[in-house]
Amino acid sequence: MFVLLNHLRRVRREIAAPPPATHGSLALRHVDAGSCNGCEHELTAAANPFYDLAQYGLAIVASPRHADVLLVTGAITTRMKPALQAAYQAMPEPRLVAALGNCALGHNLLGQTDEHAGPLEDILPVDLRIPGCPPAPATIAAALTAALDQLHRVPVPSR
Amino acid sequence: MRGSPAVTRVAAAGWRTACLEAQHDGERFEGLFATTREAGVAELCAIFSSPADTRVIVCEAPDHRVESIVDVIPAAGWDEREAHDLHDLRFIGHEPLRPLLDHRAPLAAWTVPTVGHDTHEVAVGPVHAGVIESGHFRLHVVGERILHLDVRLFYKRRGLEAAAAGRPLATALGHAQRACAACAVTNTVAYAQACESALGLEPDRELRRTRTLLLELERVYNHLHDISAICAGVGFAAGTMAYATLKERAQRVNERLTGHRFLFHTVRVGASDQELDVAAIDRARGELREIRDEHASTWRQLQFAASLQARLSDIGVLSREDAERLGAVGPAARAAGVRRDLRAESPRLWYDAFRPVAPPAATGDVASRTVQRALELDQSFALLDELLAERFAPGLTHEVSDPADVGIGRVESPRGATVCLIERADGRLRAMHLRTGSYANWPVLAHAVAGNLLPEFPLINKSFELCYACVDR
Repeated sequence: MFVLLNHLRRVRREIAAPPPATHGSLALRHVDAGSCNGCEHELTAAANPFYDLAQYGLAIVASPRHADVLLVTGAITTRMKPALQAAYQAMPEPRLVAALGNCALGHNLLGQTDEHAGPLEDILPVDLRIPGCPPAPATIAAALTAALDQLHRVPVPSR
Repeated sequence: MRGSPAVTRVAAAGWRTACLEAQHDGERFEGLFATTREAGVAELCAIFSSPADTRVIVCEAPDHRVESIVDVIPAAGWDEREAHDLHDLRFIGHEPLRPLLDHRAPLAAWTVPTVGHDTHEVAVGPVHAGVIESGHFRLHVVGERILHLDVRLFYKRRGLEAAAAGRPLATALGHAQRACAACAVTNTVAYAQACESALGLEPDRELRRTRTLLLELERVYNHLHDISAICAGVGFAAGTMAYATLKERAQRVNERLTGHRFLFHTVRVGASDQELDVAAIDRARGELREIRDEHASTWRQLQFAASLQARLSDIGVLSREDAERLGAVGPAARAAGVRRDLRAESPRLWYDAFRPVAPPAATGDVASRTVQRALELDQSFALLDELLAERFAPGLTHEVSDPADVGIGRVESPRGATVCLIERADGRLRAMHLRTGSYANWPVLAHAVAGNLLPEFPLINKSFELCYACVDR
């Protein structure tokens, strides 16, 4: 066990990730609305020691009731639309919706039209767009940390 | 190696007898598909394989009724349910024929009724707590003990097969790839092989080597991912992250070699474009050796992690008899002692003298499936090391027989035997049927879960690590 932890510590030193943010956090909830599983793999990878989203205050939470951001992947299938809407309805305000990957952005979809519910834009208000097929973990990490920075850029009160 | 598969045509009345005879002769069931023809006539076909040959049994069912084979070949259970939902076929003797894809059906129609003192249901999904694909599980339990699991997938159905029909063969490869990212190479190679077998084409040495390289690269990152996921299923974070790191490194090798972390756009029908010079293969070989050594030392550490090991044994047991009976495939079947691996019967690929491996004590539990991944990783690293000793040039196919209407591709994915059957007409794709290793194993997983405790379900699920996307299509 100690060997394993030492090994991981060495990996972290070698990677030399940028220092953690000093402010804020975002709770993320993911909904797979019909993906090929590529975006899920890369979102999971964004938590590995190379990118380590958690150190920037970005964590996946189990329930939409605890989430600030809804990360939606996949072409929105007709069969997943109700579950997607239910997850969004369960979120507290203020809430953000992120379209993760080209399918969620409605690009180059393949399949039958009656199995697709239409672009995410038409179903939920999209605040954040992360393109890629699938977006690399570095792209996901950069987009989410940028969103975090923007949200926490509190204007300095004037005297 | 022969071109297109032999097709045995039977009348609807002879369907069951023909399938049962094939099974009796030692041929292995590998999938059943239906198609609706002109004037609403349903056509049914089943694939049967022996190590030497693969053939298709076809029958027309003008009145949409045939005798079921599920009592003798339980592996056909999901296939028959799908054929019913999509093509309105009735399978006489398959009672009750529960809906599989049809989500409009009420709960009582697709779940198995459980009665008795204190039985209740736990519904999970389609949205899960982690970063997981969408699917619904209905667990029938008493206290914490699972009596039965009903799996409802197909939430991610995009209609890829139907959308591929009518397109040129080369274009429809994109649909096969889109089915699943983690099996992208397997599914596209199976599709390309199906097209080539129908066109009477045979791959040359370079094409076989290139596809084998891609398939083994896919297996390595998937197996590393699976061990990481099993550690996560136990809550052993150090192991999860150590293997997530190894998977990341493997995917970076993929990206450097092919330009894509999931090896997308690397497979074509009839040819391969990959050109890898000495510098590229040397670098990849070196990196893969580092990953192999790092995996070996991390794996050793996992053996001493008592909190991990204590959770793996005797959980989610799949007996050898059940694995055979239910048609289990891939690492899950081999971990139960079924030494079958399509790589040993792949003349269209570069697996000379390949021998399937299985753990010495193939106990069929989570521990055994975990060990199986490690054994297969050793095998894959050795194969890759051998392949990468020589540079890669573009590959081609040459004509060996006359074109036919039907073709089959069979490839061992990281999750098991994947079979693709295509029909062509007027130079275009008439129909594509993809039956992946995950499709074969979902009913097996449901069987292995029964009798275990509810909190073990995520762990058992991860030890199979099946895809939802390439089942839903």
